[in-house]
Amino acid sequence: MKEIGRPALVLLIITAVAAMLLGIVSETTKAAIAEQSAKTEAEAMAAVMPEDGIEFETLYDVTVGDQLDGTIKKVAKAIKGGETIGYVLTTAPSGFGGEVSTMVGVDMDGVVTGLRVLSHAETPGLGALATSPDFYEQFVGAKSPVQVTKDGGEIVPITSATITSRAVSSGADEAVQWVNANGGAN
Amino acid sequence: MGNPVKIIKNGIIDENPTFSQVIGMCPTLAVTSSAINGIGMGLSTAAVLICSNLFISLLRKVIPDKVRIPCFIVVIATFVTIIQFLLQAYLPSLNASLGLYIPLIVVNCLILARAEAFASKNSPIDAIFDGIGMGLGFTVALGFLGLVREFIGAGTLFNVTVLPDAFPKTLLFVMAPGAFFTLGCLMALLNYFKNKKKA
Repeated sequence: MKEIGRPALVLLIITAVAAMLLGIVSETTKAAIAEQSAKTEAEAMAAVMPEDGIEFETLYDVTVGDQLDGTIKKVAKAIKGGETIGYVLTTAPSGFGGEVSTMVGVDMDGVVTGLRVLSHAETPGLGALATSPDFYEQFVGAKSPVQVTKDGGEIVPITSATITSRAVSSGADEAVQWVNANGGAN
Repeated sequence: MGNPVKIIKNGIIDENPTFSQVIGMCPTLAVTSSAINGIGMGLSTAAVLICSNLFISLLRKVIPDKVRIPCFIVVIATFVTIIQFLLQAYLPSLNASLGLYIPLIVVNCLILARAEAFASKNSPIDAIFDGIGMGLGFTVALGFLGLVREFIGAGTLFNVTVLPDAFPKTLLFVMAPGAFFTLGCLMALLNYFKNKKKA
């Protein structure tokens, strides 16, 4: 009995202390972590909708249980002086190494105002170049259908990373189509 | 009681975890695509290692032999999770590039190996110095690997472009195979000098 009792007790105490410690650290860093992710998101939103004095209002968010079509994960309305001037959508099309989280700003006419790749798992040096301005600045002013040159569109794909370029383009296209279908009256 | 300088030197040079002991290969190969990533991973691992070594050494007379491995893992996992919370809260950019690999520190055999081979048999002070030495040795190795791979593969050092655009870059080096090439070459080079010194 002693053979089992003592080791079990020691292990129990160690895990209990560890759990308590983790609880404390989690509580103390919670606010800072939430602030950081909100800040990152706000910066990206401001970058894809370059207008002064706008406010964002989240309309749909799949993480809180809203249903959205396709790979759209989140929709926010951009409001300036009481008027809706556009939408910021987060889409997650499939790239070469998994989902490519892409934030797209679209104005009321269905024109892309900006695009940023938020997170991805694409090949370093190839698909990962989707985060460089040379690539994402091309999307400013794009209209539906947003496609790469190979598919008849105007987006020049990243060399040797057509799959990634297509993914980002399809994310942008989905965002524009959503605005064309749901914008205006909303 | 050992000599602190000797213990630290042992970790960095004589028994360098990467180049001599060849342990902790998963993070070594996976995250060293740039110098900053390598150093960041090295320092995070060092922080966990120092804390876990200290606590395991303090608890070495309390922990029964039969359940020592689960106890070590719980201690290590606790510190890894704490580091991840802190990175998320205060160093989001580093967290974004290392995020995936931080939880893997738990199963980095470097940490478990030091717990088993050193911390559980030595005094807390010695264990801290061992953690510092091994942690720095790991950081130096990862940082150096990252530096070489970043330079050859992307033409940058610490994200600053040093090679002109016209200079051909060997993308392979920032991808997985490049990690093996670089590690192998560096190891061969170090062994060459070590053997020369002995002879």
